[in-house]
Amino acid sequence: MSDYRDPAVIITVAGLSCAAITAFLGFFQAPLVNPDSWNAPEAYRILYWHVPFAWSSFLSFTILFAGAVSWYAKRSERGWSMVVIGSELGLLFGSGVIISGPIWGSAEWGVPWDWGDVRLNTYALLTLVALFLVMSLRSQPDGEETRDTLAAVGLFGFILVPITAAATTIWRNRHPGVIFRESEETGEVPVDPEILQVMVFGTFSFMILFIGLVLLNYSIYNLRAELESLNREIDKEMTN
Amino acid sequence: MRVPCRYNMSIPPLAQAKGIDVHRGPSKVLEGASVSLGAGEVVSVMGENGSGKTTLIEAFAGILPLRSGEIIWNGGDQSILVRDSDGRRNPPPPMGLTLQKGGICGDETVSERLAISLSVAGISSREEQVLDLLGHWGLRHRSKDRVSHLSGGLRRRLSILCGLAPAALSQTPMVVLLDEPSEGLDDTAKETLKGWLRALSSRGHGILVATHDKELSSCADRILTIEDKFLSETSGESSGEPSELSFSAQSSEQSPISSLIRWSTRMEIRNPIETVGRATPAIVAILLSYALVMDFDLQTHDSRLLAALVLAPAFIASISTPALVSRLSESDCGRWWDAVAGPMARPAFTITGASMILPIPVTYLSWFVLSGSVDDQVSSEVLRWLWIPALAMVDLAIASTALHLLVSNLSRSSAAPAPLLLVVMVWPFLELTDALSSIIDNGMSWGLSIHEPLVTCIVASIISALVWLSAVMIPDY
Repeated sequence: MSDYRDPAVIITVAGLSCAAITAFLGFFQAPLVNPDSWNAPEAYRILYWHVPFAWSSFLSFTILFAGAVSWYAKRSERGWSMVVIGSELGLLFGSGVIISGPIWGSAEWGVPWDWGDVRLNTYALLTLVALFLVMSLRSQPDGEETRDTLAAVGLFGFILVPITAAATTIWRNRHPGVIFRESEETGEVPVDPEILQVMVFGTFSFMILFIGLVLLNYSIYNLRAELESLNREIDKEMTN
Repeated sequence: MRVPCRYNMSIPPLAQAKGIDVHRGPSKVLEGASVSLGAGEVVSVMGENGSGKTTLIEAFAGILPLRSGEIIWNGGDQSILVRDSDGRRNPPPPMGLTLQKGGICGDETVSERLAISLSVAGISSREEQVLDLLGHWGLRHRSKDRVSHLSGGLRRRLSILCGLAPAALSQTPMVVLLDEPSEGLDDTAKETLKGWLRALSSRGHGILVATHDKELSSCADRILTIEDKFLSETSGESSGEPSELSFSAQSSEQSPISSLIRWSTRMEIRNPIETVGRATPAIVAILLSYALVMDFDLQTHDSRLLAALVLAPAFIASISTPALVSRLSESDCGRWWDAVAGPMARPAFTITGASMILPIPVTYLSWFVLSGSVDDQVSSEVLRWLWIPALAMVDLAIASTALHLLVSNLSRSSAAPAPLLLVVMVWPFLELTDALSSIIDNGMSWGLSIHEPLVTCIVASIISALVWLSAVMIPDY
């Protein structure tokens, strides 16, 4: 039975609660953006989840990449656990990005998808790589060769996608630029401070959720490994 | 008396495993195993089911990743690092190899298979020699039959003969690796096998045999036993009379990779499932596009749509699952090629298994069918330069094949969702669509600015090359 005092569970629940508060603040408290600059000013509110989803998915893919490198370099169990956790969380948060993105894109651009858009396509492909890994982790027997191949796929996704996407999208790019960077001319952030506050709160909420899910997944990974080890011991006893 | 496994210092080693750790599945199968195979000795590897006999044979062949240690073969005057735990890998010297599942594709004929086993070992054989060898194993009358038509026992005989024949015809000492050779053999064939093993060892070849057959292991000079990840060694009986083998052949300069390419081409000519499997969806796509857009004036509407429809059939043909994947998975055929050809086998397969010919005729056919509404001047300009995007589609096909082969590495590859990875190929396809659209609108130009069709095609090829490199190079690291 689950122990609800486990720090991983507490952090995850706290992260989920804060994410829900972010949604509430985003939809009901944050002011509207300038209607002259945006085609669908109301639709922008989905960005309070979209942007933190993107950040969290980026962190997940970084864990996946670091795990794949570690697996290749040292064949370390910890490295492999990072591949597993990174792909599962990458799928979760990446799905959040590629679901919320087209909803906003439909309203703002009039089209849900742009094949020439660097970030849209990068995240879509990385999410598909994560989906591939998650499905393969469930369907393939665990073993050295399976791990080698799946770690190769993880590296493949991480290394290749930004390069190819950048090469492709020199031609076309519809996605808006970074909107929270300080203006070089005025030195100010060109966003309403209230919007910024909610966005920062949302980012922190998703960071808490991300940390909670990493810890939770790591516990699950260790429990699975323990279960497998116990099963093998029973197998051995049964055959003797 | 049973002692820990050691190097046999009295016999010059042909191959050595030095302190190898090998994992199979989640568990460690071999730990710190050091084995030396000397010239002129038969070494038997014994142990219970799942103890690691096959793992040791496959590790020796260099087809298993090592957690620690290295595999070194001596070919001629030099030592060759076949594989080590840092991921370094080199092709082994010529050898004889029989895998547990045989490693033979069912489309091969009996004599062809034997000839290929000899040619990858650098031995040039004549037809009479091949028939003579088959005669020793009661397979001469089946020489022209496809392997798929043989019974299980005859198939096993053939795979053993393919493992032994290179040594039987070789003038220089050679390593022979046999995995459970007596499995499925009748008594007569077992006697033949024992006689050949003694004969080959007397000619200076080193033979490593994984078996649980005590009768077969009686002809070994040394017996290695694997128990709970560790190896121990006892001396063998070296029993059995050597068969009389009086074969000789000339060495050939042909590399295993050229044998692999010829094999792959021959399989496709004999059973063209690759071509049919790719051409059928491409033609269906052309006909469907024609049925859907026959009443539209595509050129005036949007040349990008016309370009996409023209290139889509070749794209579909290029990303279809290559038939080579199923050929290689049959009876561990791919693993056999991986062992004998070494690390270059995978890149070679991505090229031989790709649709190299189809994209160009399919693209032209697609243009002829769909360009009815395009005026003659534009059409003649496009026809003149359509080969450029079609040629770049060949690169895309090679990259797609590399992705399919990457996924086929998984032990249950049919359960892995390979199409998810193929989505990356949409990008080069879109680049090619842009290039063709530009040719339709403005004609071909040779400018080197970023929107010119030539540069766009080059970018598509570069993206495909990157995909290919990632899929081919990373897994073998």
